[in-house]
Amino acid sequence: MSRTAQRNGATSKRLAEDGDICPVCKSSRYLNPNMRFLVNPECYHKMCESCVDRIFSHGPAPCPIAGCRRTLRKARFRTQTFEDIQVEREVDIRRRVAKVFNKREDDFMTLKNYNDYLEQIETITWNLINREDVEETERKMAAYAEENRKEIARNESTAIQEALSRKAREAEELELAQMKREDARQEDEVERRRKADARKGVVNTQAKSGDDAASIAREGQKVVLKKSLARRAALEKQRDSDPFSSGTENGEASSGFTFTGLKKRVAPPPEKPYDPFGGWSVQREYFVLQNHYDWDWLSQARTNVAHTTGGYDVNDYCTRALCDAFSGFGVFIEDEMAGKNVGSTPSIATAAATVVAGGKADMHMDDVF
Amino acid sequence: MALSPLDSPKPVPNAAKTITAKAKALTLSNNAASSPSTHASTPSSDGPQDLSEQLNDQVRRKYVQGGRLGEGTYAIVYSGHLVSDPSTLVAIKKIKVNAEYKDGLAMDAVREVKHLQELSHPNIIKLHAVFSTRDQNLNLVLEHLPLGDLETLWRNKDVSYGPADIKAWAGMLARAVWFCHENFVLHRDIKGNNLLIAADGSVKLADFGLARSFADPYTKMSCNVITRFYRPPELLYGTRHYGGAVDVWSMGVVIAELALREFFLPSETEIEQLDRIAEVFGSPTEENWPGVSKLDNYVPAAKENLKRPQPLMYWKQRFGMLGDEGIDLIRYMCKLDPRSRATARQVLEHPYWMAAPRPTPKEKLPRNAGGARKMAEDLKRKGGEVEGEGRADKVARKLDFSALKR
Repeated sequence: MSRTAQRNGATSKRLAEDGDICPVCKSSRYLNPNMRFLVNPECYHKMCESCVDRIFSHGPAPCPIAGCRRTLRKARFRTQTFEDIQVEREVDIRRRVAKVFNKREDDFMTLKNYNDYLEQIETITWNLINREDVEETERKMAAYAEENRKEIARNESTAIQEALSRKAREAEELELAQMKREDARQEDEVERRRKADARKGVVNTQAKSGDDAASIAREGQKVVLKKSLARRAALEKQRDSDPFSSGTENGEASSGFTFTGLKKRVAPPPEKPYDPFGGWSVQREYFVLQNHYDWDWLSQARTNVAHTTGGYDVNDYCTRALCDAFSGFGVFIEDEMAGKNVGSTPSIATAAATVVAGGKADMHMDDVF
Repeated sequence: MALSPLDSPKPVPNAAKTITAKAKALTLSNNAASSPSTHASTPSSDGPQDLSEQLNDQVRRKYVQGGRLGEGTYAIVYSGHLVSDPSTLVAIKKIKVNAEYKDGLAMDAVREVKHLQELSHPNIIKLHAVFSTRDQNLNLVLEHLPLGDLETLWRNKDVSYGPADIKAWAGMLARAVWFCHENFVLHRDIKGNNLLIAADGSVKLADFGLARSFADPYTKMSCNVITRFYRPPELLYGTRHYGGAVDVWSMGVVIAELALREFFLPSETEIEQLDRIAEVFGSPTEENWPGVSKLDNYVPAAKENLKRPQPLMYWKQRFGMLGDEGIDLIRYMCKLDPRSRATARQVLEHPYWMAAPRPTPKEKLPRNAGGARKMAEDLKRKGGEVEGEGRADKVARKLDFSALKR
């Protein structure tokens, strides 16, 4: 407490009053036990909640502490995390800098490069904390943030994801530990009961036979031990097989503040346009389908209401008939069998099927259905 | 250049048929045995095996059957792996000997094997091999898809996803359907349950138990396919000649469900299903669907009950997740008239895929903790079934053979 007061030059000097009297309205905690103090990261001057409400409710206003005059906004007032206002300020600055310079070790080629980078960041932070070249540093930082907005956002999202997965993993571990404890407890319970039963059994056997007590007891113990060991082993095994999933990928960033040794980012190759046919095509090599065949039998089918209404397409029939007749030309069974499992082209596969089926004979078997 | 190749659609002589069948069996087992014959096939103790048995054994010995993942009325699903590489997981779907097909294989299995062995695409479940076991059971060795399906995904409230994720899933679905159609296969049972998710997050179209190839003209197809919620109006009206448009409708409904996180057109009966469709897309009439009145089961709506299609506002309110382009696509995919509906290729050419947001890469898609159990649920189910509903749901699987008898 005393240390805080010494270093905390901006606020009141007096120890006892430090935490308890608002420097603006001078009301004390003695009169108002629910008093809360707030600070604004603009100047870190402390004042009570009611003063903040009173002064800043109607929009931004200058800081009421004498000699400060910084314009403050109500929204940015918050309760202090650290007692020492200097620490509070430093933490804020570090947080701000880390948000902009959020590169990771994986982004650099060597550890040395990463360390150099960290040193540069530390210099920036130091300048800001100790108010050296503040304007210049701020300007550079803003420019850097603007230039590398995308990289920063990506690194940030990676970090968030990592945090999430870490949290999930921790929760899982916790659950596992709880389970283990529960198992152990249950096992103890079971064992205790078993021992009690065994003891009872021993007594019974003794009562029935005249065997010596020690050997029976030993026998019983062995059984119990074996069973519990087996159970424990099974549980361990089950747990070991539960895999954890983790790992995220990392992006890289380009330079803006001139950081050396950054890894080159390899852009993923552009995706090919989606092919609805999946790279397959069926071409009839050995014949060309005509629009019309001068044959009454076919023409009648074309105009037959029973055929057309149901969606029967005579052209389909013509294609099939022609395919059955001609596709065998390009088939060499030996070649095809050799390439069977490598992935044959559809036209060959079809043609083969047609050949195997022996064309028409098979079509007639079809007609049964 | 091309001449019409079909001169007469008449059956070929028997001899040719048997040859084809044999050739098929051979190639199928070859498919599986990519490294031919590491095990020298030894004749078993109970007598010499013929070639097909040897080949079958060869395939069977390549896989180790693991624990049972689930069992349905139609199949049992086991996990399994390669003998040579235990880290390569597979799902082995063992088709049960079916009471309905005592003298042969269940149709579903035949369809599944037949079409899956032809289709090889990253968004279609891969059939690694087929073998039979001692009791004449058929075993399909399928890709291992451990991350559940699209329906459990939108049902699971713990999973949150956005427009980019929907676009990624829808894109993979559209590719699968497009590929099926390019290869002349109609899936006929597209729904969230049949879109399984692989370990890498990609969606794979599964359950080809109702699939068939495109039909010839004048050949009737069953209209009793596709799970009711996803059945397009032309099938509900009993058309016997249809094309890829039926799958496109189902696909549209699936994408809508992904965006809504609930069933888009749920109903109890087929009549109710038509009502649901009419409520959203308007009552089908000769104006918006020329020729519809000629369909077998068409019942014209009474004048006062004539429903108008929902305005754009309705779509914008319900399907904000899809964006304007997505809404346009859904409406294009669910046009009443199958002729004006998008084809699978047109779906993929739609501007929706190129519009923002870009689809999420598959490894970044949200995932379900469904696990292998869910995959088994999906694989063992028969096509056309909705879980946990009345017995009427199984109707879809009953196939209509009347066309054959005539």
